[in-house]
Amino acid sequence: MQNRIIAFIFAAAALAAPAFAQTAQLPAPSPIEKELAARASNVDEITLDKNMLGFAANFMNHKESNNPAADQNDEATRKLIENLVGIYVRDYEFDKEGLFTAEQVEQLRAYYETNEWSPLVRDRDRKTGESSDVMVKLVNGESRGLLILDIEPKEISIVLILGPVHMQDLHKVMGIAVRGALKGEGVEKSTKAEEKQKDKEKKGGDQ
Amino acid sequence: MKRLLIFPIVFVALLVPVVVLASGSGGFDGVVSSIESRYHVHATRIPFIGIVSAIARTATQNGVGNMHVAEFDSFSAPVDGGELNSMVEQKLGPGWHRMIRETSRSGNEQTLIFVHPEGNRMGMFIVDLDGHELDVVQLSVNPDQLNKQLGQYEHHNHESATDRSDSE
Repeated sequence: MQNRIIAFIFAAAALAAPAFAQTAQLPAPSPIEKELAARASNVDEITLDKNMLGFAANFMNHKESNNPAADQNDEATRKLIENLVGIYVRDYEFDKEGLFTAEQVEQLRAYYETNEWSPLVRDRDRKTGESSDVMVKLVNGESRGLLILDIEPKEISIVLILGPVHMQDLHKVMGIAVRGALKGEGVEKSTKAEEKQKDKEKKGGDQ
Repeated sequence: MKRLLIFPIVFVALLVPVVVLASGSGGFDGVVSSIESRYHVHATRIPFIGIVSAIARTATQNGVGNMHVAEFDSFSAPVDGGELNSMVEQKLGPGWHRMIRETSRSGNEQTLIFVHPEGNRMGMFIVDLDGHELDVVQLSVNPDQLNKQLGQYEHHNHESATDRSDSE
């Protein structure tokens, strides 16, 4: 009987694993994106999956400076990155207006908008055709992802962050995604400012 | 006599991986030859890159290795970003994932960065076109080791800056 239970547990785990893996992955690029990329004059596409984020987090290991506050911030950023499932950024800039249609925008929106996403910001300007959508993926009341879709007459931007992410951590994630750097922008700035302040204090003390 | 034999053995050992990699239709050489035939250009390869790679591996204490570099000078052909991306993707095969694609038509600029997890290492494949120069680089990185190395330099820099401020 015990063996059967163990076998059942293993079978259930084996069946559940692909389902979890499926949900914990970045989506495949929408077919519309290929069309947009073909017409755009500037294309920026960044895809950081779990593996790549783990790789980036490795760069933040074992770093100890003389600044405990910066070390603590680094550690917090590393943990944040480790817990993320993926970062997906797309930015398409066009030479002139009218190189994409409202239908394409709707298709793009429908591709990402699923039942699990709750709208946070929804802004539409009918005159200019500009629109902004900010959505949060909620699982058991906890934020498990963030989607930003920004449409301008000559630019389309998509930012998708999957994983537990909070608004106060956004600047760190965006710093990594946009600059492709391995340090959060906020971390770097605060560290430099703190070092300058320390140097000033030191000089003042010496005089 | 035995000592003399070591040199050809080491030379052959360094040469074999390069020849084996060069004979494949995919991977680094596949991408380079595809670019050569599609855009009618000829790549300049760095001689003895196998030895350079081995030196880099030793110098970085296994942080960076498996380096391959090809350079295309005077690259004037117009490049379609989508086409270049598909070509590289096809030649690299399914194990590689594109991390970054950057395309700017106005300046004839293209950047593609692909990654390939290799256990505790990460394989990186970079194609970069900037104006009239196109570079193709492949390397394998050990983040832990590289991080330790960078940490040493950071400590050294910080100590130098502190010394300088102290002397002032």
